[in-house]
Amino acid sequence: MEIRLSSVLLAAALLAGCSWFHRGAKPAPEIVAEEPQAEPSIVEPQVTRREVKTPKIKSKDFELGAYFGALSIQDFGTNAVYGVSGAYHVSEDIFLQGYVGRSKAGTTSLEDVFPDITVVSESGRRFTYYDLDVGYNVLPGEIFLGRGRAFNSALYVTVGMGDVKFADKDQFALNFGVGERLLITDWLALHLDVRDHIFETDLTGRTKNVDNIEATIGLTVFY
Amino acid sequence: MRRLLALVLLLQTLQVGLAGAAEKNLVLVVADPYLEMHSGPGRGFPVVYVIGRDELVTVIYSRTDWFKVRAPTGQEGWVRRADLARTLLATGEPAPIPPYPDFSTRRWEVGAGYGVYNHENLVTAYGDFSLTPSLDIELVVQQAFGTLDNRYIASFGMRHTFIPEWKWFSPTAGLGAAYQYIEDVVPPAPLQKSNEMAYVSLGARGFITRRFMWRADWRHYVVFNDLNVYEDLEEWKLDLAVFF
Repeated sequence: MEIRLSSVLLAAALLAGCSWFHRGAKPAPEIVAEEPQAEPSIVEPQVTRREVKTPKIKSKDFELGAYFGALSIQDFGTNAVYGVSGAYHVSEDIFLQGYVGRSKAGTTSLEDVFPDITVVSESGRRFTYYDLDVGYNVLPGEIFLGRGRAFNSALYVTVGMGDVKFADKDQFALNFGVGERLLITDWLALHLDVRDHIFETDLTGRTKNVDNIEATIGLTVFY
Repeated sequence: MRRLLALVLLLQTLQVGLAGAAEKNLVLVVADPYLEMHSGPGRGFPVVYVIGRDELVTVIYSRTDWFKVRAPTGQEGWVRRADLARTLLATGEPAPIPPYPDFSTRRWEVGAGYGVYNHENLVTAYGDFSLTPSLDIELVVQQAFGTLDNRYIASFGMRHTFIPEWKWFSPTAGLGAAYQYIEDVVPPAPLQKSNEMAYVSLGARGFITRRFMWRADWRHYVVFNDLNVYEDLEEWKLDLAVFF
């Protein structure tokens, strides 16, 4: 019994000793089938990676143009008006728009009857304005010209505010407009507009709101 | 003969140039069963052509949410953003169609509006750039229509948005420097035609829909003058803006 116990202990000690001695040994190298050596190539392939650049998509949301027409200045007759306009199309329905225009007022009927009376000085007859508007395309659609031609179009309404300088004075003005945009091509548009510039004035004696309606025709370019 | 040769060569190079220009457009592969092309950039315009799966579509340019495209047959039409976004590049990667601008990641704002400045009507326009989601710098130009004078005001300042995560309403506060130019309308002429000013502001902003947002601001200006008097002005305004 005692011998068996001692031999077990001895075996355990031997095993522990073996593992102690073995601890630093490197693991046996795995045997791998050797691949046949490729012959050294004479021409080294020079692979240059091609930079693939995806082209950017241009956006054409801006519209720039000029217009001319007739402006009816209340109490001062109807005269030629011209200006420039710019717009940014936010969505297919809504756009932001700005106008800068000028005209020259005629004479009032009072001045016509009594030529000695001047209501407004010569320099004050200059009528200049700017507008900042929001527009909404109410009725988009197509306009047909004959059998084989269709133009995209839209009837829009605008509302905004700005400045009217008349009689040497800047007035705060509200603007309401309705217009038709006809796209001759996808980048060139014809505009027909009617706009009203409303402001308060006391030029003719009493303070009142005056409506100055203009009808214009314009040409714009999308870019 | 030599001239003719030169002409032919010139035409050839021109053609190469044109072909090169055409290649600048983005070419995509239709992945859906078909891609609809409308006659105009709007939801109501009829579908005039259809490009089938695995066919190529050339993107020419965009207008709002619509893209002008060309089919392999040369037919041109308009495709909506959502449809074009489901096409692929020739490499199989998804098409690089820019996503719709998101309010939370906007960088630029451009807006205009109405206000009252020193008890007078005010037309205002501004541009704004977000440095961080809660800090903006803004440039504002304004015109105030007085009965006695007409003023042009330009200001530059910074604005802090208190809770930028709140989409529909978030309070703001700002401060900055301003300059006003006074044009007299009715005598007496102003004692000083222009002033430098400083302002503090309290306001709010919020998202409306799609790419629109609103901004309201109350400002208190301190006017620096040489007249040895304390002068201050008040302003409030409401702007409608578009963000990018």
